[in-house]
Amino acid sequence: MASRRVVIVGGGTAGWMTAAALTRLLAGQCSVHLVESEAIGIVGVGEATLPHIRAFNERLGINEAEFMAATRATFKLGIEFRDWGRIGDTYIHPFGTFGPGNAELNFHQYWLRLRQQGVAVPDLEQFSVGCMIARRNHFALPSGDSRDLASTFGYAYQFDANLFAPYLRKLSESWGAKRTEGRIVTVHRDGESGDIAAIELESGERIEGDLFVDCSGFVSLLLGKALGEPFEDWSKWLPADRAVAMPCRTEGAITPYTSAIAMPAGWRWRIPLQNRTGNGYVYSSKFLSDEDAAAALVASVEGEPIAPPRQLRFIAGRRARSWVGNCIGVGLSSGFLEPLESTSIYLIQAAITGLLELFPEPDISPVDRGEFNRLIDLEYDRIRDFLILHYHATERDDSPFWDYVRTMEIPDSLAEKMELFRRRGRVVKYREGVFLDASWVAVYLGQRVIPQGHDLRADAPGAESLVAGMVQLHRQIAEIADGMPDHAEYLARYCPMAA
Amino acid sequence: MAGGPIRSVVAAGGGMVAWGCAAALRRKLPALEVTVIPIPVAAGALADRIASTLPSVLDFHRDIGLEDSDPVLRAGCGFRAGTLFEGWVDGRDDYAHVYDRYGQQFGTTSFHNHWVRAAKKGGAAPFDAHAPAAAMARAGRFLLPEHRPAGSPLSEFGFGLALDVDHYTAMLRAYAQHIGARERPAAITGVQLRAEDGFIAGLALDDGGTITADLFVDCTGPAALLRSELDQSFEDWGQWLACDRMLIANAGATEGQPLDHAIAHAAGWRWAATNPARTSHGLVYTSAHLADADAALALRGSAGVEPGAPIALRQGRRPQPWLRNCVAIGDAAITLEPLEWTNLHLAHNFIDRLVAMLPDRDCAAVELWDFNRQCAAETDRVRDFLVLHYVASRRTDPFWRDLRAVAPPASLAHTLSLFGDRGRLPFYEDETFSRDSWLAVLIGQGVIPRRTDPLIDSVPPEQSDRAMATIRDSLAAIVSTLPTYSVFLSTLKGQSAP
Repeated sequence: MASRRVVIVGGGTAGWMTAAALTRLLAGQCSVHLVESEAIGIVGVGEATLPHIRAFNERLGINEAEFMAATRATFKLGIEFRDWGRIGDTYIHPFGTFGPGNAELNFHQYWLRLRQQGVAVPDLEQFSVGCMIARRNHFALPSGDSRDLASTFGYAYQFDANLFAPYLRKLSESWGAKRTEGRIVTVHRDGESGDIAAIELESGERIEGDLFVDCSGFVSLLLGKALGEPFEDWSKWLPADRAVAMPCRTEGAITPYTSAIAMPAGWRWRIPLQNRTGNGYVYSSKFLSDEDAAAALVASVEGEPIAPPRQLRFIAGRRARSWVGNCIGVGLSSGFLEPLESTSIYLIQAAITGLLELFPEPDISPVDRGEFNRLIDLEYDRIRDFLILHYHATERDDSPFWDYVRTMEIPDSLAEKMELFRRRGRVVKYREGVFLDASWVAVYLGQRVIPQGHDLRADAPGAESLVAGMVQLHRQIAEIADGMPDHAEYLARYCPMAA
Repeated sequence: MAGGPIRSVVAAGGGMVAWGCAAALRRKLPALEVTVIPIPVAAGALADRIASTLPSVLDFHRDIGLEDSDPVLRAGCGFRAGTLFEGWVDGRDDYAHVYDRYGQQFGTTSFHNHWVRAAKKGGAAPFDAHAPAAAMARAGRFLLPEHRPAGSPLSEFGFGLALDVDHYTAMLRAYAQHIGARERPAAITGVQLRAEDGFIAGLALDDGGTITADLFVDCTGPAALLRSELDQSFEDWGQWLACDRMLIANAGATEGQPLDHAIAHAAGWRWAATNPARTSHGLVYTSAHLADADAALALRGSAGVEPGAPIALRQGRRPQPWLRNCVAIGDAAITLEPLEWTNLHLAHNFIDRLVAMLPDRDCAAVELWDFNRQCAAETDRVRDFLVLHYVASRRTDPFWRDLRAVAPPASLAHTLSLFGDRGRLPFYEDETFSRDSWLAVLIGQGVIPRRTDPLIDSVPPEQSDRAMATIRDSLAAIVSTLPTYSVFLSTLKGQSAP
C-alpha cells in the first residue's frame, strides 16, 4: 500500500501530539510533515489534563518521570471548585470513586440514606481517597491491587504546555517527522474533488499531501477557513468567550489538584507547576470588559507575576464535522470547550485515537469519515452537558452573569439527568462518556443539587452495621492519606525538573 | 415525595420471569410486600419456556442470593458453552459462538485483524479454533473456569445454563417464597383502572376477590393481560425478523453436549439443545414459506417426537414497557425469536432495572422515561445482533433471499459497513453481546473486511501466523486433558451428593 503523505498544519500541543502518534504507531504507513510558525505561537492554556493522558504517553513509550521533569509537571488528583454553588462553598471533583468503589450500589446512596435519616455523616469527600490525599497536599502513586482501598483514585498531570509540545517535537523528529517553519498564505484545493491539494508558505514553498491535519487552533485555517465547515455555536449555554491568562510565582502550596474558583462573570483557574503557578480568568465579554477581567486576575493571583496578562478569545461549540474531504481537524480547529474540566487535551487525544484507528486508504472511504465524525460528536455532546451543569447548578444571584446561567434554558438531556438526581440521587448512564458516576455525584452534591430520596436498595443493611462500616472506612481513608508523603516532596524525589 | 414510597407489588405470571422478579424484589428491597399470581405459562412466553440461557443468568442468581451451584444441584440444570451454527452460509463450515475471547491480542491491535490478514492470504485456521471455550466444547469436553489456574486459557470463559425449566421454576418459586414473596393462586378476570389517572387500581380474581397494589408487574407473556389494558402500541420488527411461527418439541434426555445447535432451514432455522432432563427441539419459521403441517412434519423428523401446537410470533417490542403503575417484563414487553437465547436475559435485565429504579407511588414520568429508554436501547442492540444472522447469511432459498433484500436497521447497517470495509466495530451503549460475540458471528458467517488494519503492519505476517499456531497448539494440548461434558457433570453431582 502506498505511503500516505500527512501534512500537519500547526505545531502546538495538538500538532505535535498528532505527529508523535503517527510517526510512532504508523511508521511505514505514512510520512509526517509538520508546518508551524513560531511567529504565531501556541495557545497552551490546556495545562491541566485528565487521567487518559497517561494511556497516550504509555502507548508512545514515554517515561513518566522523564516527561514530568521535562514539562515541570505536578500530579493532579482532581479539581477543587470554590464558590460555585454559593460563595464560600468548596468541593473536589476527584479522579476516582467515593467509598470502596466496587460495591453493587454507588457509595453515595448509603451516605444519602443515613443523612436523610438524620445521622450526622461527614461530607462525602471524606470518603474519597483521592479527595483526602488532595486536601492534605500529599501524593503517592495508587496501588495496583484493585482490592486495595489505595487503588480507588486516579491521577493526571498539570504541566507546561509550552514545554510539552517541544518535548513531543523532539520525539517525533527522532521518529521521522519532518518540520518546516513558515506561515501559510494559500491553501490549494483540487478543482474536481474539492480536497486540499497543497499548502503554500510565505516563502513560496508548496507542500503537497494526501491527508491534511488541521492543528491550527481557533483560526481553523483549513477546516474552517479553507473548507468553510460551519460552526455550531453553544454560547447560549456556555457564554464564556474570553480568557485572560497570567503565570505567577507560587506562594501557596504546590497542590496536587487544579482549582477552579467562581468569579462574578465566570471563573478563574489556578494550576501549580513545579516552578510556577498558572492563572487565568475565563469570562463572558457580555458581562465583563477585558480591562476589568485583567485587573481582577492581577488582583487575585497569589505571587509576583512572571508575565503580563494575555488575552484569548473563543466561542464554545464545534464544527459540524471534524473530518471533511481529506482534512481532519484535531484540537481547537474542530471545536472549543472551556478548560473547566480540563478536556482540551482529552479531546485532542480522542481525535488522534480516531485517526489512528480509522487511518484511511489513499482513496478515503466515506465510512471512515462518518465513523470518525460520529465518535467526535459523541465526545463533545457528553462533555457539553457536564460543563453546563457547573454553571446552572448554582444558587448564586450576586451578579448578572450568575443570574443568566442560573435561569437559562438547558438542553433536555441535562434537565432529565438533574431531575433524576434530585429525586433519588441516581446518575443517568446516558452518554456518560469520559466522566463517570463519581464525577457527576461530586458536582451535583458539591453544587447543592440535593436528592430528596435515595435508592431503596441502600435500605437493605441495618443502620448499626452501616454506620460502623462508614466509621471504619472513614478511618482507613484518613490513614492512607496521612501515610503519604507531601506532594512537593514526592515530586522532588520522583521527577525533579532540571535546575 | 409525591405519593410516598411503593409498599406493595403484584407480579402476574407463573414462570421463571415472575418468580425471578419476586425473588429479586424481596431480596433487594425487603420492605416491599410482593405477591405473585401464578397463572399458567402461555405457550408463547419464551422467556419462561426456553431452556438455554446466556451467562448473565449466573449474575442474576448471585444478585438474588442463589449459589452458582444451586440450579445444577437442586434443579437438575446443566451447563452450556455456546451454540454451533450450521448451514447459515451455503458451502461454509459451521461456526461456534461461545462466550469467550477469540484469540489473544498481540501487538497493538485486536486479534481478529491478524486473523483477517491471514484469511485474505488464504489458509487461515477457523476463527473459532482460537477461542478456548470453542476448542473445548467442540471436543465435547467441559470444565468450569474456576477449576483452571488463574491466567491460563479456559479460566475466564462465560457459560450459560441448560435449564430443566420445570424444576428450575419450582426452585425459584420455593426460594422467592422462602424470602417472603406470597403466592395468591387465582386467575385474573379483570383489570380495574382508576378513573382519575388510568393507573391500575386492582385485579379482579376468579375466587371472587380483588387484589390491589402500588405497582403491577406484567409477566403474563405475549398477551400482556395487564399492560395491554393501558395501551396497545407496539413496534413491529417483522420486516427484519420475518419468522412468525414456532414449534417446540421436547424429547427425552440424550447424551449431554456443551454446545447447542442452531441449524438453518429453508424457511427459518431449528435448534437442538440438551439439558439433563430432556432434549429440546424447535423450529422457527415463516408461515409465508412453510405450512404449519409441513413444519410439524419436519420437526418431528429431526426431534423424533410430536411437536406442540404452532406458536404465533409477532416480533417487536413495546415502546414503553412501563406505563403508569404497570411494567411489562419478558414476552409481555418484547417478542423475539429464541435465536441466541436472549429472552430470559432481557427479562432479567428489566428486573434488575426495576429494582434499581423503583420510583415512588406516583411513578413519575421522568423516572419511567429513563427505564424505558434503557430497555429500548438494550433491546434494539439485541435485535441488531439477531438480524445480523439473517443479513450475513448466504442461502439461495426464497425466504433467505427476500430477507437479505431488506435494508437492515440503520445502527446495524453502520456496523456492517464499518466492519465490512475495515474490520472495525462501532461502539454502542447498552450492548448485550461483546465484541468477541459480534466477531464470532460476522466472521463465522464469512463477512471478511475489505482491508486490514494499518496498525498491524508493524507485525510481519509470519509472526502473526506463528502466534496463531501457538494459540491453537496450546489449546489442543489443554483440551485433551479435560473430562467429557457428561463425565464432568456426573462427577460434579456425585461430589456434591450428601
